[in-house]
Amino acid sequence: MSLDRLLAPLVVVVGGGGVGKTTLAAALGLRSAEEGADTLVMTFDPSLRLKDTLGVGEEARDHEVTVASDTPGRLEASLLDAGATFNRLIERYSPDQQAKERILSNRYYHHLSGGLSGILEYMAVERLFEVSIAGDYGRVILDTPPTREALDFLEAPDRVIDFLDSGVLKVALKDWFTAEGRLKPAARFGALGRRFERLLDDLVGLELLRDMAEFFQAFGPLYAGFKDRADRVRSLLQSDETLFVLVAGPGEEEVPDLLFFARRLAESGHRVGPIVVNRVHPRFERRSGGEVDAADGVELLAWLGERDHAGLAALRELLSAEQPLAALPLMSEAPTDLGGLSELAEELVGRLRS
Amino acid sequence: MKPALFDQELVVVTGKGGVGKSVVAAALGTLLADDKRVLVLEVDPRENVHQLFGVPPSGGEFVELGPRLFLQNLKPGQVIDQLVEEKLKFKRLVKRVLESPIYRHFAESAPGLEEMAVLGHALRALRGVSPKAPRVDAVVLDAPATGHGVSLLAAPLLVGEVIQHGPIGGLTRQVSKLVADAGRSGIVVVTLAEEMPATEAIELRAMLAARLDRAPDLLVVNGLYPPTTGALGADRASRLWARRRQLNERELGRLRREWPEPSVELPLLPLDRGEELVAELTAALRQQLVDGKSG
Ligand SMILES: Nc1ncnc2c1ncn2[C@@H]1O[C@H](COP(=O)(O)OP(=O)(O)OP(=O)(O)O)[C@@H](O)[C@H]1O
Ligand SMILES: [Mg+2]
Repeated sequence: MSLDRLLAPLVVVVGGGGVGKTTLAAALGLRSAEEGADTLVMTFDPSLRLKDTLGVGEEARDHEVTVASDTPGRLEASLLDAGATFNRLIERYSPDQQAKERILSNRYYHHLSGGLSGILEYMAVERLFEVSIAGDYGRVILDTPPTREALDFLEAPDRVIDFLDSGVLKVALKDWFTAEGRLKPAARFGALGRRFERLLDDLVGLELLRDMAEFFQAFGPLYAGFKDRADRVRSLLQSDETLFVLVAGPGEEEVPDLLFFARRLAESGHRVGPIVVNRVHPRFERRSGGEVDAADGVELLAWLGERDHAGLAALRELLSAEQPLAALPLMSEAPTDLGGLSELAEELVGRLRS
Repeated sequence: MKPALFDQELVVVTGKGGVGKSVVAAALGTLLADDKRVLVLEVDPRENVHQLFGVPPSGGEFVELGPRLFLQNLKPGQVIDQLVEEKLKFKRLVKRVLESPIYRHFAESAPGLEEMAVLGHALRALRGVSPKAPRVDAVVLDAPATGHGVSLLAAPLLVGEVIQHGPIGGLTRQVSKLVADAGRSGIVVVTLAEEMPATEAIELRAMLAARLDRAPDLLVVNGLYPPTTGALGADRASRLWARRRQLNERELGRLRREWPEPSVELPLLPLDRGEELVAELTAALRQQLVDGKSG
């Protein structure tokens, strides 16, 4: 079956940490190129082995590198760099050189671009948007950063907008500090004001507050462009162009989270594509009927196989019959070359059909 | 020799997502509670450590698990709010400050403040100054995944740069001392013997040295397939076992080469998340750390 029937032009691979998203994204990318589509795979934090397999090193950070895949369609890969993407956004929306420099040199901006929860995820979607409007590819596959919860990824644009949004920004845009670096409202409110100022100083430090106020002031002129952009990013994620592939680990413990996420995606107007349960232990006959002997690997594997298949059965039960679902077996090793990746994709597509 | 962990006040358990940090924190907490009062502190909005002890969710409260063992799931905001409450004696003022959008925004987005609050909370539990909490001798912190684990430990430095006085300034200084003192605080890194997690563990070790000038006290290699026995069959299951174990051994070898500090190995067990799993892993830790059969 061709990927065109399974996937959209933009594919976002989501799921918890350590479930194999990156490898699956690369496998789907290769398959897409094999079927003739010029394809970009944007990976996040790939293993050394996968970097070797794709032939992308540090030079692929924030740049597209051609993978020597020898496929009808071109296959390119890049590593996401959230900081570089954020800097580019600032450059694009700064009215002038001075405004840009004020932001890029602001201490708070550095904390923010490195640490604010959601920035990483947001920059990933932002990058997807950049690439999709450039229109150089027939298909783009986005691997996503490992999030605490898969939902974090989806909510990132909203969270970043909320953060930059009017309330806080308006407050921050006020001229908070007097020429002497004192808090203005505090100066106005006399004793209570001084107390509030001291409290804020104790809590977060006035110096930091000054950095923050300065950041938001410098950011003011960029805000409209930024917000408009984030809105467009959001519509892109909700459009027919985009499909989400959900990846999860096996076992019954994972089922509730996975279902919750699939439901949330659909409810918020996103298209849920295939669900992939990865690293499922194969089923083996138990050697005996009694208690599982943990020192016997065959017994242990039989137990793990039972557990994983019980989880799968519970999941199937709860999903609608039309929902494509593929269970990929635990492999002896991650793919070490393009041939291995191609086989993985074949396996995935094959299982989705049946 | 017993690692320093047994005498430390704060033990931070960290590692890549899903490698078994929570299970190891629970087992280590149980082991340390053999002879002192221990709090297992979970910092994860998706509470799940309670399941490991078979109790209802903590919902932010202290839960007594045994004569010397306690559990708490912590919301970082809670700690900062509590400091405000203690600092401002007037209820009305407290309410106004806590509800003001400026405070909320600044308290939530000031870099390092939340992490500092978590460590501060641990310190307060050690001192017994938390009004609603019993005093404990040690805190085992189930820290968020790798990168965040280091941010957590680096937070006092970051916060200390900008906040020097007041209750937070004071707490920050005390926490900085605690975190910098290898005799009082320890770091446990949990990993699986698989390529990605092992690589991340080694990177984490380097990051700890570079950013905090600290070495981890213990490496826990979790989820190992059992060693293969001589008479291995040629069936698919036996072959898969052999390959998984081989992969484990390759990564164990790499870890041994690149990890000079002590390490322990925990088996992959045919048990679901729960009390029995924790009991088994506690026994395995006890055997290797206390009875001295360390690998
Ligand atoms: N040695 C083991 N044997 C069997 N199962 C284990 C073992 N260690 C961990 N597990 C299981 O693996 C899963 C993940 O463990 P745990 O929740 O402790 O990981 P974590 O590192 O805390 O994850 P997170 O990053 O999501 O907080 C759990 O279901 C747990 O029961
Ligand atoms: Mg955990």
